[in-house]
Amino acid sequence: MLAFALRRLTQLLVTAIISSFLLFVVTEFSPGTVSRQILGPYALPNQVALLDQKLGLSQSLPQRYVNWLSVLVGLKANPLGDPSLKLDLSDSRGDRYFGNFGYSLMFKQPVRDVLAGPLENSALLGAVAMAFIVPLSLLIGILAGANAGTQLDRLLSTGCLIVTSIPEYAAGVILLTIFVSYLNWLPGTSPLLATEQWSIASQLVLPAAVLTLATVGYVARIVRASMADTMTKPYVRTALLKGLTKRRIVTRHVIRNGMIPPMTVLLLQINWLVGGVVVCESIFAYPGVGRLLLQAGLFGDLALVQTITLLSLAIAAVTQLLADISYVALNPRVRLT
Amino acid sequence: MSGEKDHTYLSRLRAQLADRQIDRREFLRTATLLGVSASAALTMAGQVRPARAEETPKAGGKIRIENKNSSADPATMTSIDESNATRQALEYLTETGADNITRPYLLDSWKPSDDLRSWTLNLRKGVKWQDGRDFTADDVTWNIKRLLTDETGSSVLGLMKGYMLNETKGADGNATHSLWDANAIEKVDDHTVRLNLKVAQIAVPEHLFHYSFAMVDPTSSPKFRVGINGTGPFRVAELNPGRNVIYEANKNYWGQKPYLDRLEFVDYGDERAAVPAALISGQIQGILNAEPQQMPLLRNQPTLQLYEVLTGDGPALRFRVDHKPFDNPKVRLALRLGVDNAAVAKLALGDMGSAGEDHMVAPVHPEYFKLPDFKQDVARAKQLLAEAGYPNGLQFEVAVTKTPAYHILVVQAIVEQWKQIGVNATINLMPTSAYYDVWTKVPVGLTSWAHRPLGIMNIGLAYRSGAPWNESGYNNPEFDKLLTQAESVADPVERRKVMEPIEKILQEDGPMIQATWRKQATFYAKAVGGFSMHPSQYIFARNLWLKA
Repeated sequence: MLAFALRRLTQLLVTAIISSFLLFVVTEFSPGTVSRQILGPYALPNQVALLDQKLGLSQSLPQRYVNWLSVLVGLKANPLGDPSLKLDLSDSRGDRYFGNFGYSLMFKQPVRDVLAGPLENSALLGAVAMAFIVPLSLLIGILAGANAGTQLDRLLSTGCLIVTSIPEYAAGVILLTIFVSYLNWLPGTSPLLATEQWSIASQLVLPAAVLTLATVGYVARIVRASMADTMTKPYVRTALLKGLTKRRIVTRHVIRNGMIPPMTVLLLQINWLVGGVVVCESIFAYPGVGRLLLQAGLFGDLALVQTITLLSLAIAAVTQLLADISYVALNPRVRLT
Repeated sequence: MSGEKDHTYLSRLRAQLADRQIDRREFLRTATLLGVSASAALTMAGQVRPARAEETPKAGGKIRIENKNSSADPATMTSIDESNATRQALEYLTETGADNITRPYLLDSWKPSDDLRSWTLNLRKGVKWQDGRDFTADDVTWNIKRLLTDETGSSVLGLMKGYMLNETKGADGNATHSLWDANAIEKVDDHTVRLNLKVAQIAVPEHLFHYSFAMVDPTSSPKFRVGINGTGPFRVAELNPGRNVIYEANKNYWGQKPYLDRLEFVDYGDERAAVPAALISGQIQGILNAEPQQMPLLRNQPTLQLYEVLTGDGPALRFRVDHKPFDNPKVRLALRLGVDNAAVAKLALGDMGSAGEDHMVAPVHPEYFKLPDFKQDVARAKQLLAEAGYPNGLQFEVAVTKTPAYHILVVQAIVEQWKQIGVNATINLMPTSAYYDVWTKVPVGLTSWAHRPLGIMNIGLAYRSGAPWNESGYNNPEFDKLLTQAESVADPVERRKVMEPIEKILQEDGPMIQATWRKQATFYAKAVGGFSMHPSQYIFARNLWLKA
């Protein structure tokens, strides 16, 4: 087990390095330069060139990647923070520390400070949504899968299909029309600023509902398919012939074996919920990572886009590691080699 | 009030009013520009301010308003939102009201010389910075000098360059600026500053209210932040760029104390669709402005009040005249002749718009000269394109911002109409912040030009050779000369004569299509008192109060 974990960790590290380099190269090819962005449209070409030089942007690509990585791990100070540049960028953590993601030019603050709030907010929304997604999709999927081919299965499967095919923005507008415009039960946006009338909790209801609607149908269908498949396995027939009740077979044997594929899908949702809820966060003006990524991408805030993408990669890698480990727990036959 | 101290031009102005050569509004505007207080001007105009049955404002409470924010230096601000955020804490020497009349604010009064080349600014006594220090002439001269320095990068430089600065071209071809005279900004005493101008200029008081002209404390950083030391009625208590700003009332404010205890500006970014939902559910009590397509929804809400005003807000679809084929005036004229402005206005704004005349002077401006109708002429446009060497039409890209949404409609309408003259343009939809990073660079783009009280103001910012905001690179010495001449004429009737050739030059040779004027409209909760819609969308939260 230890060797397995170590090997996976090494793979993780290699993946991180390769993907960070690819990410760096891709963002390097985006239009406009950092210096032009800092100095604004009135700056002269020679001023831009001068700043390029000071920031080390005129060096070769591999050199710039090494620079960027050195700043990230704390070996080097970020050239943008140099007070002599008069950019008014400063970092309360000092200029050299591990996990220095640089400065967001859109907010003129260290990326870590910009990202902390939205990350927390997205995690909160993701947690609330998961609290509904997991039990609901498991319940629906298991019910449908254990009763594959019956009336109940058809009803649940069709329902899931319908819900899955409603896009997030449509679900958002429909819910807004009903609960905000007509009933006035809920707030229309979720900036997470509490007011006398609308608590923070009330602001979470609609975005969480949209995310749940968008995800439950899909996950439930995966659970159903896996359950239905497991139900046809010979050992289920054997158990039936042995005289076990269906309920006992499902709860004791089938669920455990049928959960392996849905586990991957569920864990992948975490990645999406924390870093990729762009549409839903935009509809409700929710101050999360997804909306920030959209803003940063549109503005061309390279450091912020890089950091959010790196973060998504890291979460994906970690959740998949968790998925692999949980396979072992669910099915000891999975080889740890 | 019409004593010997008054400007000699006043008596002529009064005669013109009597002869109905100018209307009452114009009289008020020009009289106040010449240093007469607004109430005295109203008396001269033979009318007293109508006594309105208004409720008495109540003190206390908190209001939330939708308005974007940033932590920019006010000198380099490029949006009304940012200026609204700083406006509550930092103040201006003068103030142009919702009625387009400019009055002294941090000034007590101003007095131009008869030749309009020397402006004496008398500071209001008793004005205090939030840290308790007196607001003095030194603060004013420091601020003006800062704004007129190249390194600051403020748009004030373009606005005042014609009458305050000299330009020298360096060896590298780049222009640098310096005060035209060492005594151009003169401190007379602790409460008097005199501006000595290179040439006559009438709009000095209105330039002093240009939104980058907020007075900042010389002793600390001008960057907008928590605790920034202004003279204003509110203190910045919390600032989260991209999210919100929270203000607390300045208990020691030098003027009428604000009614509200707290004020919050909530930033919804470019998520304009989210804003009406927030207003309807009472999360915010007001929005910066309502877009035409949001009007039907918001009009139907019983708890909301509509405020609207006619303006000189007209986006310009401009061409970089240093890019082919737009360097050819025939091409620019052909592109203008290919467009029916009335149809564009109707399509983009419905009953919230009216047709522009491609010269940026609006009917609400006092110096507006009515030129003969400029009609769409497809045949002539095609002929001009052929003469310019493009018989098979043109292809290019038009950049436009995501917000306000009607700008996209303006561009779509123009692009569709161009097809009749063989011009196939594609549309590049850009996020607003990204566009304004490159707005002076893109070959073709639609830029928002906010309402300003005088017609010559936007023209001076946008089309004078070498001005920082000259986004088209337009360079026409004859136009520059006429513009400087117009800026020196106090007489609205006389100025109108100079405006005729200016408007004609822009219509026939100019670098842009300016197809629409719009009404500004917004909605506030009925529970909010004291609001009036400013044509520039400026918010003065010191006037706002909450009804019980």
